Amino acid sequence: MTTALLRPLALLAVLAGSGATTALAQTDPIKFGKPEMKDFEAKNFVADSTAEAVVLCDYGRSRFEYIEGDFRVVFDRITRIKILKKSGYDWATVKVPLYHSAGREEKLVNLRGYTYNLVNNQIAKEKFDDAGVFKEEANSNVTLRKFTLPNVREGAVIEYAYTVMSDFTFNFQDWQFQESIPVRWSEYRTSMPTYFDYKIMMQGYVPLAVSEHGEGSMQATVRQSGGYTGGGFDTQRVSGSASTAVIPVKTHRWAAKDVPAFRTEPFMTSVRDYVSRIDFELAGVHWEGQPYRAVADTWDKINNDLLADENFGMQLKRGGFLKEQLTPLLAKITDPAARVAAVHDLVRKSVKYNGRDLYYSTASLRKAYDQHRGNAADVNLLLIAALREAGFQANPVLLSTRDHGLVNPDLMPLLSRFNYVVAHVSLPEGKEMLLDATEELVPCGMLPTRCLNSIGRLIMPAAADSRWISLAPQQRLTEYQQIHLTLDDKGGYTGKIHSEHGGYAGLAQRDLLREKGEKKFVEEMLHGREGWNVSKYQFAQRDALDKPLSFDYEMSMTAGDAQAGLLYLRPLQHFGNSKNPFVHENRQFPVDFGCPVDETLMMTLTLPAGYEVEELPKAAAVTLPDNGGRFMYQVQPAANGTLQLVSRLSLSRAVYSAEEYANLREFYRLVVAKQAEQIVLKKKS
Amino acid sequence: MVFYLKHTCHAALLALGLLAGSHALAGGPPPKYPVADIPGSLRENAHAVVRLSDETLLVKSAGRTIETVRRAITILDEAGAHHAQELVYYDQLSSVSYLRGSAYAADGRLLRTLKASEIGDISLSDGFSLASDGRGRVADLRQPVYPYTVEFEYEVNSTNTLFYSTWQPQAQEQLSVEQATFRVLTPTELPLRYQERDLPAGTAAARTSVSAALQRYEWQVRNLAAVEQEPDGPPVGETTPVVFTAPTQFEVQGHVGTFTTWQALGLWNYQLNAGRDELPPAVQEKIRALVQGETDERARIRKVYEWLQANTRYISVQLGIGGWQTYPATSVAATGYGDCKALTNYCQALLKTAGITGYSALVRANKEDIRTEFPSQQFNHVVLCVPLQKSAKPDTVWLECTNQTNPFGYMSSFTGNRHALLVTPQGGRMVRTPQYTAADNRRERLADVYLDAQGSATATIRTRRSGLEQDDYEGMAGSRNLADQKKALAEHLPLANFSISKLSYTQDRRAAVPVITETLGLTLPGWASVSGRRAFVTPNLLSRWHALPATVGERRTPIWLENAFSYADTVRIHVPAGFKPENLPAPVQLSTAFGTYSSQVQAQADGTLLYVRRLLMPRTRFPRTEYPAYQDFRRRISAADKAQIVLLKTDA
Repeated sequence: MTTALLRPLALLAVLAGSGATTALAQTDPIKFGKPEMKDFEAKNFVADSTAEAVVLCDYGRSRFEYIEGDFRVVFDRITRIKILKKSGYDWATVKVPLYHSAGREEKLVNLRGYTYNLVNNQIAKEKFDDAGVFKEEANSNVTLRKFTLPNVREGAVIEYAYTVMSDFTFNFQDWQFQESIPVRWSEYRTSMPTYFDYKIMMQGYVPLAVSEHGEGSMQATVRQSGGYTGGGFDTQRVSGSASTAVIPVKTHRWAAKDVPAFRTEPFMTSVRDYVSRIDFELAGVHWEGQPYRAVADTWDKINNDLLADENFGMQLKRGGFLKEQLTPLLAKITDPAARVAAVHDLVRKSVKYNGRDLYYSTASLRKAYDQHRGNAADVNLLLIAALREAGFQANPVLLSTRDHGLVNPDLMPLLSRFNYVVAHVSLPEGKEMLLDATEELVPCGMLPTRCLNSIGRLIMPAAADSRWISLAPQQRLTEYQQIHLTLDDKGGYTGKIHSEHGGYAGLAQRDLLREKGEKKFVEEMLHGREGWNVSKYQFAQRDALDKPLSFDYEMSMTAGDAQAGLLYLRPLQHFGNSKNPFVHENRQFPVDFGCPVDETLMMTLTLPAGYEVEELPKAAAVTLPDNGGRFMYQVQPAANGTLQLVSRLSLSRAVYSAEEYANLREFYRLVVAKQAEQIVLKKKS
Repeated sequence: MVFYLKHTCHAALLALGLLAGSHALAGGPPPKYPVADIPGSLRENAHAVVRLSDETLLVKSAGRTIETVRRAITILDEAGAHHAQELVYYDQLSSVSYLRGSAYAADGRLLRTLKASEIGDISLSDGFSLASDGRGRVADLRQPVYPYTVEFEYEVNSTNTLFYSTWQPQAQEQLSVEQATFRVLTPTELPLRYQERDLPAGTAAARTSVSAALQRYEWQVRNLAAVEQEPDGPPVGETTPVVFTAPTQFEVQGHVGTFTTWQALGLWNYQLNAGRDELPPAVQEKIRALVQGETDERARIRKVYEWLQANTRYISVQLGIGGWQTYPATSVAATGYGDCKALTNYCQALLKTAGITGYSALVRANKEDIRTEFPSQQFNHVVLCVPLQKSAKPDTVWLECTNQTNPFGYMSSFTGNRHALLVTPQGGRMVRTPQYTAADNRRERLADVYLDAQGSATATIRTRRSGLEQDDYEGMAGSRNLADQKKALAEHLPLANFSISKLSYTQDRRAAVPVITETLGLTLPGWASVSGRRAFVTPNLLSRWHALPATVGERRTPIWLENAFSYADTVRIHVPAGFKPENLPAPVQLSTAFGTYSSQVQAQADGTLLYVRRLLMPRTRFPRTEYPAYQDFRRRISAADKAQIVLLKTDA
């Protein structure tokens, strides 16, 4: 695969009519129950020798049926997998998710399965017994059916097929072409009445071998039910009648060939952003003779619907109960920013975030407030309501968290792309702020790390004012250390260190400090810093969340045995970067840190009396292309037998492309090597 | 790797608290559990304080118990917030009669009471079972402002009397206890069996007769200060007060038994699973053909075991009594899968066909060993034990039946070095699983490092691991693909900058203990740090040992090391032309009660530098008082492991 083919999220251009009606006329890529001898020949799996299993063929079809006046979606799937190693046995256990809502549910029917083993050069066939299908709740709308195939051995080929019947036309089956094992052939065909307008979204880094689109028709039987007319002795039976309607359909066929195994990499957002797949969203329906009815719609409509929604916009109007708390709180504060911070603080301390990420409230803000507990929307909608109550222009911003996947503004408007809401507030002089009150340690004006995911949608009272808004953080991950080391003539030293953890580093360190407590925090810092003895330490600005967490300590380190005449030391050993964070050679996907990084080290080294410098590391300056970042290192003698050492590292972007990975890795290699360089001191003769 | 028998995870020691029923009264109820009442000594080092814990086990009959729990706990900070969430486990054999809860502010004012609609009911799928009936009632009373107090109260009605309560009010670190009480009410004809451990002086059981028909046992502890997990120490749960209880008689789904001796417990197990070893004739024929002509007993067992490994796999299904009773052998024959009970039973049946008698052996896998002095259901796994009949000296083959790649006869750290209960027709018999010593658990590493004048290097490293030392590599070596192998290794290599140029694993499963040999090629940019005319090299390439963190105060717990082992490292450094050593580290030799260590670097005639390191740790348990000496031993090893070679440019 060449990187030129890498395609991030893109709207698939659906070319009507180009493929005529051929899309579904193709023969099936697989026949269920008919294994092929070539799948039992070792030579055909040489290229996959390191894989635990290989998907030979994954074939899905979605079509519509018209039954009793209603359309339903029928999804058929056949999957055949070659098991190469024992560690691949898990592929023989299958989970099928089924959606249910309001008393209706998707149904799994016609589940069949076989395991094929080669026995004496013959393919032996073992049938799956569907008594072994177990049910498990995944969440309140999804149950899983789980089953496992019998007699799976190394070299076996397993195969299963099933059909899912669904009344939920909005929940059209999506398709994933890529797995954590190689896929030889993955094909999905769809056929949907032209009444249904689905938007089709393609994403991933794997090129398609087939992408065909056409038109065709399906037949629907429309029944007139029979019954009786008249009454009493005059009752007459009227037989039912059936007529056949021909419904035009759009057909699609997509296939990917020889898809490499998907591997996760460090510094990624959700896997969903990277894996090759195709998603469907119902945009509207267009019945014959009726005007087009949008289902998922324009931003304007989403905006208005949200604002009218009981669990969203309506809640924002019910913040009156907060007045009692807010009035005394704000009575003496005049500065707008300080007023915002006070409201933020009040909400943060009133409702505990329960860890659930949703963009809508599940009950009411009042209830969340009374229970002191709620999901992300309960907390942040309450924040917005409180800010409005305090006289601010505050509005919701919809976003998708890093775990939930990237939002692409070029795609059709879709509420399901979002799973979170934060507050936007306009301040005098055109200033604006994004606020989140779910975290005890995230200051006013900063978003939790999970929210750092490109862009969000600002929902304004007038739909026309709504817009996309960048979630790029104002804050960086900032580490600052100011170090005074005094060396003795054996290579030991004492040090006074002032360090500041700012922005996202402050958040991370406060989090750790809260979890560990001061004593354990210090103990943990000492891991890997053998021989260190910390005599004094002090944290400051622990609760001043908008300022860096400062940490001052004094330490000493006694050296083992004295060296005759020469002292070798690696002054940044315990203060700088000791390991390249990019341990892997290659990268398929972008590197996403969430926010830019700044690390500054300023060191003053006092030499032991009677010693002078024999060797000093050379100064260095390294930059990443396109202003991606820079590293600067310098050590030089200063007054009174001291050395001044400065090391600065900055990464100016939150995201680097896969193509930039090699540079990033080399950049860190140089940083680590430079910070490990030694100073050699010599006893004056 | 987890292959558990079903175990009633008594849902993490849940708690209770009296419910404020009268808060509607004018003026409000009196404050409860004001935080100001907590003694300072209990706040120290604690994230949460158990204010009151009251747990009662009522034995209704041999087949039914009712467990009633009330607990109030003050959450001091975010790190203790998980104590404000409650999960009460139940399954096909038990039910939750009620779960209630309230939250109180620091001053003791009632904040709120849980509504029935807020109590969730979730499936506790264990993640590896195809099916399991475990479920939980859950409640969440976390609050946004600290400190606060929660109370929970619940009752579990159980018809599974295999397990009685284990009372451990302080199961976690950084949790202190103000007051906790445990009582058991049991019919006189069903006397309680119990075992106490680490109870504070003077807290033995108080036994009283409530009536001629009913006995009461009671324990109480007060003011337990928070404790912390210590490095190289036992888990906190192994060191805090606990009372284990067990039935004398029990009945589960019509299966009656007694637990007073291991013999009886084993017998019950035997009877529960007896008669489930019938094999289809076709399988019997296969096995007979497989071992035909093989006269050596061990070789016959091996053949059967390898056939089992090639033809079955582990799939867990834990429903009701199925948590303890095996699926019949015919079921495994038909599907080729089963859980630990089913696969062990199947293997036993296969061996029987081959004329060999094996016994299932109950163990507590992957956790601390069972308490052999207290016969009770403490097991979570089962393996097969085959005493050799024809061997000249007593010999036994142990078989792990749930793992398709496990070497024949090897128990690994999962089930080795512990006790097991043999299940025989005559009842249970306590035996030991294989012991793996420092001579078995070896790591031998041979490296060649080629350094260039710029400080970069390439290295080839061959590491041979045996016994328990190879356990962690078994999954990786046996089956993971190369990309995953490289990824896993890269994340653990203790090197600043490197690329893996070559990686392969070979396994020897036929040796007395299994062996995995890793061949690794590395490029190491900037391995030596070059400053001017000097280059600095740490010859201990991959085997550096860290010192232990400094201790504050006295060591509380004994030293528990994972297993005995021995390490040998030899690194040959090929020095580039134009460099010669300016300074070599002095040799180090340490000989202590904990183990012996040596390291040295020698310049060889061919110009290379040879680094040799040896570490032997033959024992694993030492008393608390030895800790400072152990720390010193580790400190000296760490210092020696960091020693540097200084090379000096000779030209220019």
